[in-house]
Amino acid sequence: MSGNATKTLERGCAPPGPVPEGTIRLYSMRFCPYSHRTRLILQAKGIKYQVVNINLRNKPEWFYTKHPFGQIPVLENSQCQLIYESVIACEYLDDAYPGKKLFPCDPYERARQKMLLELFCKVPYLTKECLIALRNRRDCSDLKAALRQEFCNLEEILCYQKTSFFGGNCISMIDYLLWPWFERLDVYGVADCVDHTPTLKLWMAAMKQDPAVCALLIDKSTFLGFLNLYFQNNPDAFDYGLTC
Amino acid sequence: MSGSSARSLAKGSESPKPVPEGLIRVYSMRFCPFAKRTLLVLKAKGIEHEVININLKSKPEWFFSKNPYGLVPVLENSQGQLVYESAITCEYLDEAYPGKKLMPDDPYEKACQKMVFELFSKVLTRKKTAFFGGNSLSMIDYLIWPWFERLEALELTGCADHTPKLTLWMAAMRKDPSISALHTDVNALRGFFDLYLQDSPEACDYGL
Repeated sequence: MSGNATKTLERGCAPPGPVPEGTIRLYSMRFCPYSHRTRLILQAKGIKYQVVNINLRNKPEWFYTKHPFGQIPVLENSQCQLIYESVIACEYLDDAYPGKKLFPCDPYERARQKMLLELFCKVPYLTKECLIALRNRRDCSDLKAALRQEFCNLEEILCYQKTSFFGGNCISMIDYLLWPWFERLDVYGVADCVDHTPTLKLWMAAMKQDPAVCALLIDKSTFLGFLNLYFQNNPDAFDYGLTC
Repeated sequence: MSGSSARSLAKGSESPKPVPEGLIRVYSMRFCPFAKRTLLVLKAKGIEHEVININLKSKPEWFFSKNPYGLVPVLENSQGQLVYESAITCEYLDEAYPGKKLMPDDPYEKACQKMVFELFSKVLTRKKTAFFGGNSLSMIDYLIWPWFERLEALELTGCADHTPKLTLWMAAMRKDPSISALHTDVNALRGFFDLYLQDSPEACDYGL
């Protein structure tokens, strides 16, 4: 019950015990982009953590005591405090833990990162819809056009700023919050949507150099294996690629 | 151009002058609940500000250079920095200005307020304290308040009849100095809504 590469807990499984002091627990799922955000922050800040993966198609009953709607990610600390909503969880980790601050200190720069997050807000929906359409062999040219437009907006920001990352010349919170969807463009089948946004592509390349991003990169064939089973409604999808 | 009761600026109006030092400007609209959030926080923190009302049915062209989404509220300071999205403006004001902090210092308590904001309806049935953030009024109460103020105008107070805790909360909120100072008259709200639903460009200036 320690690392990311562990089997999911499902209905009938006993709830995990209390979180030991000195560690924080993340209820997660290996392929979920929202959980991925939280794992990136945990990694980037060098926080000691344990992962409990949840079978999202067959949730353990006790999981609803961790989140009213049974959603991931959820953080649980040794004082039994629960934090959910991926962005809130990421901000909590930055506030509560020492070390490098991922959000800027300046209130205006903080506000700017939050406004950038708003600019990004259609991307998760559009990438998911493209994935579903492609998997169901439906035409998604309209969706892809809309996604390209969103990427153009982000490209404009980077070009205007002339910085390597969205928060400046160093990686910061906003970059980590955006990253999971960009990592998934290829496996979702929409990698061509960044063809006309070269600065965004450079940002993606720079992100792949970041130690936290690298440490959590999901193997492409494993991801495709998961997606295949997921779209066949196979409840074992979430554990795909695990050996024990 | 200064007061919250000034006529709105519409299409064809001149771009406003830069914001003088020592002041922050909020682009607002008298009947907008999102902008009301920002005004409440400005008032609660005693921040010196000027208000420019925007005619949302006939927006000035220059307004899109303040907020590409063309929505209120927007904050503009004397350095020309712009902040939009109501919750972001409120948090920015709390962080950037001294005085009483509306957001709690404790990271978990702060996260709780944000989760509450996200899961608003769930909290209504679970709330055990007098205010949404605890036993005294804080950020989350101001963020939620504008919608309850409108319940009366829209004749929806019946919604609160089955939630006595909520009714008590509304009564407690009305006693808050910032809220009573910015109280919007029920008839003005009704007048605004009538004109707004008819797509009238006069809606935003109702009562002036």
